Amino acid sequence: MIRSRLQRGVLPALAICVALTVAAQAQDQTTPPEGLRENNPAAHALINARIVTGPGQLIESGTVVIRDGLIKAVGADVQIPADARVWDLEGKTIYPGLIDAFSEVSPSEEATPAAETNYWNPNVRPDIQASSYYVSNSSTNSDYRSQGVTARMIAPSAGVVRGQSGVVTTGDDDLAKAILNDSVALHAQLTPNRGGGGFGGGRGGGQRTYPSSPMGAMTLVRQAFYDAKWYAQVWEAYNAGQEGVSRPERTEVLEAMQPYLNGSMVVFDAPSYLYALRADQVAREFGLNAAILSEGGDEYRRLDAMKELGRLFIVSVNFPDAPDVSTPEKAAGVTVERMMHWDTAPENPGRLASAGIPIALSTNGLSDVGDFLDNVRKAVARGLDADQALAAMTTVPAEAFGMSDRLGNVAAGMSANLVVTSGDLFDNDTDVLETWVDGTRYEVESTPAVKATGEWEIAFNAPGGESQSLKLVVSENGSRTSAKLDRGETSVNLRNVSLSESVFTATFTGEDFGYDGVVLMSATLDMAPDGDEKPAMLGTFVWADGHRSSLTAEQIATSETTPASLEAAPQDPPQGRRGRGRRGNRGQNAEGANDSNSNLPAMYPVNYPYGAFGRSEQPQPPAAVMFTNATVWTCGPEGILENASVLVENGRISAVGKDLQAPEGCVTIDCTGKHISPGIIDCHSHSATDGGVNEGSQSITAEVRIGDFINCDDVNIYRQLAGGVTAANVLHGSANTIGGQNQVIKMRWGMLPEEMKFSQAPEGVKFALGENVTRKRSQDSTRYPRSRMGVEQLVRDAFTAAKAYRKRWEEWNANQQGTPPRVDLELKALAEIVFGERLIHGHSYRQDDILALMRTCEDYGVTIATFQHILEGYKVAETMAEHGVGGSSFSDWWAYKWEAYDAIPHNGAIMHNVGVVVSFNSDSAELARRLNTEAAKAVKYGGVPEAEALKFVTLNPAIQLGVGDYVGSLEPGKHADLVVWNHSPLSSYAVAQQTWIDGRKYFDREDDLAKREQVREMHAALVQRILSSGATMGGNNAAGPNPDTIWETDDYSCQHAHADGDYFGIMGHLDDVFDLHGHEDHDHADHNHDH
Amino acid sequence: MLRKLQRAVAALAVVCLLGSAAWANNPIIPGKPQDQPIALVGGTVHPVDGPAIAGGVVLFDKGKIVAVGKDVQIPADAERVDVSGKHVFPGLIDPYTNIGLEEVGAAAATIDTQEVGDANPSAKAIVAVNAESTVIPVTRANGVLSALTAPSGGTIAGLSAVINMDGWTWEDMAVEQVAGMHVSWPRSGGGGGRGRGRRGGGGGGNSGEAVQRIRETFATARAYMKAREAGGDQPFDSKWEGMIPVLQGNLPVFISANSESEISNAVAFADQENIKCVIVGGREADKCTELLKRNDVPVILSGVQRLPNGQDSPYDEAFTLPKRLQDAGVKYAISSAEGAANVRNLPYHAATAAAYGLSQEDAVKSITLNAAEILGVGDRLGSLTANKDATLVITDGDILEVTTQVEMAFIRGAMVDLQSKHTLLYDKYLEKYRRLGVLNEPEQQ
Repeated sequence: MIRSRLQRGVLPALAICVALTVAAQAQDQTTPPEGLRENNPAAHALINARIVTGPGQLIESGTVVIRDGLIKAVGADVQIPADARVWDLEGKTIYPGLIDAFSEVSPSEEATPAAETNYWNPNVRPDIQASSYYVSNSSTNSDYRSQGVTARMIAPSAGVVRGQSGVVTTGDDDLAKAILNDSVALHAQLTPNRGGGGFGGGRGGGQRTYPSSPMGAMTLVRQAFYDAKWYAQVWEAYNAGQEGVSRPERTEVLEAMQPYLNGSMVVFDAPSYLYALRADQVAREFGLNAAILSEGGDEYRRLDAMKELGRLFIVSVNFPDAPDVSTPEKAAGVTVERMMHWDTAPENPGRLASAGIPIALSTNGLSDVGDFLDNVRKAVARGLDADQALAAMTTVPAEAFGMSDRLGNVAAGMSANLVVTSGDLFDNDTDVLETWVDGTRYEVESTPAVKATGEWEIAFNAPGGESQSLKLVVSENGSRTSAKLDRGETSVNLRNVSLSESVFTATFTGEDFGYDGVVLMSATLDMAPDGDEKPAMLGTFVWADGHRSSLTAEQIATSETTPASLEAAPQDPPQGRRGRGRRGNRGQNAEGANDSNSNLPAMYPVNYPYGAFGRSEQPQPPAAVMFTNATVWTCGPEGILENASVLVENGRISAVGKDLQAPEGCVTIDCTGKHISPGIIDCHSHSATDGGVNEGSQSITAEVRIGDFINCDDVNIYRQLAGGVTAANVLHGSANTIGGQNQVIKMRWGMLPEEMKFSQAPEGVKFALGENVTRKRSQDSTRYPRSRMGVEQLVRDAFTAAKAYRKRWEEWNANQQGTPPRVDLELKALAEIVFGERLIHGHSYRQDDILALMRTCEDYGVTIATFQHILEGYKVAETMAEHGVGGSSFSDWWAYKWEAYDAIPHNGAIMHNVGVVVSFNSDSAELARRLNTEAAKAVKYGGVPEAEALKFVTLNPAIQLGVGDYVGSLEPGKHADLVVWNHSPLSSYAVAQQTWIDGRKYFDREDDLAKREQVREMHAALVQRILSSGATMGGNNAAGPNPDTIWETDDYSCQHAHADGDYFGIMGHLDDVFDLHGHEDHDHADHNHDH
Repeated sequence: MLRKLQRAVAALAVVCLLGSAAWANNPIIPGKPQDQPIALVGGTVHPVDGPAIAGGVVLFDKGKIVAVGKDVQIPADAERVDVSGKHVFPGLIDPYTNIGLEEVGAAAATIDTQEVGDANPSAKAIVAVNAESTVIPVTRANGVLSALTAPSGGTIAGLSAVINMDGWTWEDMAVEQVAGMHVSWPRSGGGGGRGRGRRGGGGGGNSGEAVQRIRETFATARAYMKAREAGGDQPFDSKWEGMIPVLQGNLPVFISANSESEISNAVAFADQENIKCVIVGGREADKCTELLKRNDVPVILSGVQRLPNGQDSPYDEAFTLPKRLQDAGVKYAISSAEGAANVRNLPYHAATAAAYGLSQEDAVKSITLNAAEILGVGDRLGSLTANKDATLVITDGDILEVTTQVEMAFIRGAMVDLQSKHTLLYDKYLEKYRRLGVLNEPEQQ
C-alpha cells in the first residue's frame, strides 16, 4: 500500500515542481532518493507582517520563523536566524492556514477498497479509511490553496456507514507526508448509499440492496452499532474464558466500530435540520460523540432545537442559487419558502454561531472549491462574526479533529501552515497571495508575464461582415484588472476580465454596440513588437451565436496616460481572486453567490414551519374556551345535541351539553348555525413523512420506523387541518409482507417531529397481503413470497423466529450464562408483535388473505388491531368480529386492481352491522381533507345512521389506534380536538371553519383567507429581490433542503388512480403506470397511490 | 310498466329487499324501450335551463321529453308516477372519462384506452366500449347517465364518443359515436404543480419539439386533404382521413392542457389552425380567461377534488376554480377524472365547487347542461327540456349530497336497472349474515 501511495504521489509532485518557489526541505526519510538529493533551504523568516495568530489575536507587525516545516517562533520582536531565507511581507497579513472541515473523496478505479466483508450488509464499512485510497492531485491542491486552505478533512463517499475520514494537507508533497491523520471520525448517513465506491446498490442502481429508503438506512446504522456492542461483549466473554462461550467469528467491520462506541467522533450527514434531530436521536441511543454535517443549510429554521443538541455543526457555505423567476409563470411556480431560503441561507452560519452553537466551515457541496472564501465572506457580510468565522476554519476543526497541537494557530511548535493575504481575510477586496503548507511556500497565482494596461484600438469584422472598431481601456487597481470598451458616447464595462500569462480574456454585453447577447473575447498580447510596431493583441471575438471574428488591437496609450475616467467606472462585483487564469467558465453560481445586493439582511423572519403557511409562534391555548349554540356531534353516548355548548379547559374538554356556565375569563365562541364534531382521525395516511414510505428491499422490515422520519414541514398537514383532520396514522407502505413501524401523529402544525407524535398511541407495525407483496405486477421478481401461499408461510416463519428470539433474551436475562444474545432490531419488533405489544395494521383485500392472516395470528395468540383497506371484509365480517380486529376501509374505491374488483361501497356498513369497529381512511393527502363526506357514504350505502357514520372517521379510528380514551369523541376529560363546521359534517357543503387540537386553534378559515394576501405580497417582494439582485437564476443549486422532494411521500406499491396535486387529468395517470421496480425513479411527476 | 314503476317507488324504502329478491333470478338487463307516455308528478323538477319547479310535471314519450312544467296536460294513456317529495334532475354527464374502455386499473388485459404510436387520429373509442362492463351499472346507479369516453396516450390519442350508460351494444349506447379528437398538449415548465419542478424545469426544449410535431402533423394532414380533394393519385391513409373532419371544422379537438402557457399555446394553436377546440384539464384556466372567452373556448375541468397546484397555493385552490371561471364568464364543465370506477362520484366534485362558492344551480349545470353543450349534444341531453332525450334521474334529495339516494333513472325514456355488481354482492352477503343471525339490520330501512 505504501508503495502504491508513493507511486500515486510521484506524478503530482513532479508536476508541481515548476510552480514551487521553494521545494521541500530535507529530512530523514525511509524512501531512498532517486538521483540527486534535494536540499533546499528549510529555514524561513517572514518579516514585517501583520500576523493574526489566531481568532481575535493580532500582532500588528511581526515575524514568523519557520524551520523544517514547523513554526519555530512568532512575535513582534523575534530574532531572525542567520540561515533563514527572509521574506518581507510589509503590508501583508499572515493567518493560520485554513482547514476545510469536510470534503468527500471517492475511490478511483484502481484504488477501490475491498468490496467484500463478512458483515451482512455491504453498506456498513467503518473499516474503510478514505486516506487508504486518497490520491493527491496537484490541481485540486492548488484550488484549495487559492482559498487559503492548507488542510482538509477527507471522508469516504459510499455506503451508509461510510468509513473513516482523514486529514490531508493541500501541499504537493507525496502522500507519505500529505496524510496527517488516517482516522478523524466515522461518517454515517441516514439515507441510502448514494452510489460510488462499487459496493452496495443504492437507489438508481440496478439491484435494490437494503436499505432503499432513509427509514432503512437509519435502522441499519442503529443495527450496526448494536452489533458492534454485541461483538465486544461476545469477545469479552470468550477472552474471559467463560464457560459455554465458543470462539466468535472475527468481523473486521464490527471491530472497526469499537472506537466510536467509546467516544471517537461520528459525523452524521444532515440533508436538512430534520436529519440533525434524527442523528442526535441515534447518537443518544448509543452515547456517541456525534457531530452534524449540515448539508441543507437550513438550521436557522429551528435554532433553539439545534442548540439543544449541543453538538458541533460542520456547516457548508454552499448557498443556494436564486430560483428562476424571470417570467411570470416561472415566478408563480416558485414557492415563498424557496425564495425565503435563498434570501436567508447565507445567514445560517452566522445565526448558528450567534446562538452559541459551535460551527466549523466546509467546502461541502460547492461545485467549485474556488467559491469557498467568497461564500465565507458572504456569510460574514450576512452576520457571521469574523473571529468566529476564522475559528470555524482553524481552531474549531483542529480541536474537533484532535489536532490542535499542530493545526489552527500561528504559534511555535505548530505546522508551518499559513495564509498570506493582501489585507483582511474577510474583506471582498483581499486576495490570497500565498499559502505555506508544512513550511513550503506556494504562490496562489504567478505574476502575469505582461501587463495589458493602457488603451487599445480593436479592429474586427462585425457579425454582418462590416469592418468595425472599438476602443479598449484596461487599468489595474491593486491586483485587480478592470477594463471597458468605448465607441463614441457608448461605454460598456467588461466582465470576467482576466490576464493569464499573456492571454487577456473578458466578456461583455453587446447590446449597446448593436450585438446580440454576451460576447466573449480572447486575445494574446504581443508586447514585444518588432521594429517600430506598437504592442498589439491578436485574438477572437465569439459572438452570441457561436460565430467568431478575428480581432487585432493596437496599443494607442500606455497605462501612464490612461484617462482617470475609468477609475470612476463601475466594476464587476468584487470577485476576489477567484478563478483568475485558472478556469475558463467560472460557473454562474459565483456571480449570484457574490452579488453585493444580496448582502442585504433576509427580508422575513423565520416562521414555523418555514414558508408560506408558517406561523410566528404556536397558537396559544386560552385557559378556557366555550363554543356555544352549536349542533354538537359528540360521537359519544350523548349522540347529537342541538343548540349545545362545548367547554374546553386547559386543553381538555371539561363539559358538553346545554346551558353550560362559562367560567370566569372564559373565551366564548358563538357557533350559532354551526356544527361541532370531534377532530377527524385518518387511520391510514402517508402524509408528513420524508423517509420514503417503503423500505421494500426485503420481505420483512419490521425494524424500520416511520416515526424516525416525520416531516413536520409537510404542507399536507396544514391542508388536512383545513379539512378538519386532527390526527393521522402514518403508515409504512405495502411493498412487503411485514413492513415498518407506523407513527400516530397529531396535526400540530408548526411543531417539531417529536412534538407531533401522539404520545399515548401504542406502537404498531404494517403488514401487507396479496398482490403488492407478491409482486404480481413485476415480471421477474424472485423475492419470496411470490404467491399468497408464501405470504402465510413467511408470517409463520417470522413469528416462530421472534418467539425464539424473545426466549433467548429471557434466558439470558435470567442467568447471564454463555454467549450474550445479539440485539436484532427486526426480531425485536417481531417479538413485540407476537407478544401483543405492537399493533398490527394489515393491508388486505381478498377474503382468503384476510382469513389466512387471522388464523395464523390466532395460532400464535395474536390479535390483529386493524385490517387496512379490507375491501372484502364484508365477506368475512363475522370472523373479523370474533377475532376482534377493526376494519379500516375506503368508503368506495374499487376496481383499481384485480384484488379490488369485488370491493363494494356497502363494505363499511356490513362490517359495522355485523359488529366490527369500522373506520374510513384516506391513504391519500387529498382524500384526507374530505373524510367527513367519506363517512357520509356509510349512510348512502347501507344506511348507517348519521351519528354512527361520523364515528367512522372519529371515534372508531381512535379505538382502532388505541387512543379511544383520549380522542374521537366530545366527552369530558378527552383532548380538546374538535372541528367547527358551517354545515352538518356529513353534508357535501360542509367547510371546516376552525380546527382545534389540545385546546389550541390550529386552523381558522378566516385567518387563512386573510393570510393569502400576505403570502402574495411576500412572494412578489421576494421575486423583486431576486430580480434586482442580478443573481443568476435557476442553477442546479437553486433547490433547497426539503427531502420530501427526494423521497416518495406516497405508497407507490400499487396503482390507485386518485387525483392529487401531481395529476393532470386521466391522461396523466393512465400514462404513468409502474411497478415496484419503477420506484427507484423518484422523479415521477405523477403518482399512483397505493391501496 | 306501470306496475313495475309502482313497485319501484313502493320499494324505495326497502331497496335491499327488492335487490335481494332480484338477485337470485334477475340479471341486470338493459331498460326496455318506452312503450307509453310517462308523467312524473308531484316532485321538485330541476330543469337546469330554468328555475326549479316545485310540484312540477315531467312528461315524456317515445324516449323524448314532451313537456316540463307546473301545468302540463297529461295524456290519458300516460302512466302517472307520483314522485312527491322527490327531485327530478336531468341525467348527469361526465364530460371526460374512459368508462367502458377500462375495467380494472392495474389489469392490462381489461384496458383499451391507448393505441400504439404517437398519433392515432382515426382510432375510435366507441368500438372498444364494453357494454358488459360492471362499471357502467355502478355509475348509472348514482345518476351519471351519460359520459364522454376518450382514448388517451401519445400526442393524438384518437376519437372519443358520447355514450349513455345502458344498452346491449356500443351502438345502442352511443349518443355520438365520434365526439372529438383528443390531443395532449406537451407539458411546459413552470407554473403550478410541484411534480413538474422535479422533472427539472419541464424541459422547454423538448416541449417545443413536441409542439412542433403537432404542427407538422396538422400540416401533413392538410396536405393530404388537399391532395385527396385534388383527385390525384394520393393513396388512402387512414390516419390522415381521421383528421379531415377536424380540419374542416366539423369535429372539435379536445386538447389536454393545464398550465397557463400550455392553455395559452393550445388556444393560439387552435386559432391559427382554425379548428374548434375544447380545453381539458384546465388547472390554470383562471389565468387565461380573456383568451378563452375571446376565442370562445370552453374548458372541461379534470376534477375539483384534487390538491392545489403548488405548495403555496391556497388549500382550496382547486375547489374554488369553478367559481372563478363562472365569475369570469368562461364556459366550463366538471369531470371526475379519477378513472372509470370513480365516475359515479362526479356529483361530489360539483358539490365541492358548490361548498366553496358556486351556487348549487351552477354546480348542477356544470355536470349536466354545460357538459352536454361542450360535448355537442346539447340538443339531446343536459336539461329537462321538451324534445330532448328523456334521460333523467329521480332522487330523494339534492343530487349533490352524498347521503341522497338515486331512486329511479330513465335513459331515452327506458327505465334503468339500478342494480349493479355492488348491490348484488351486497344482497348476497346480507343473506349470509342473516342466515348466521349476526346481522344488526340498519334501523333506517
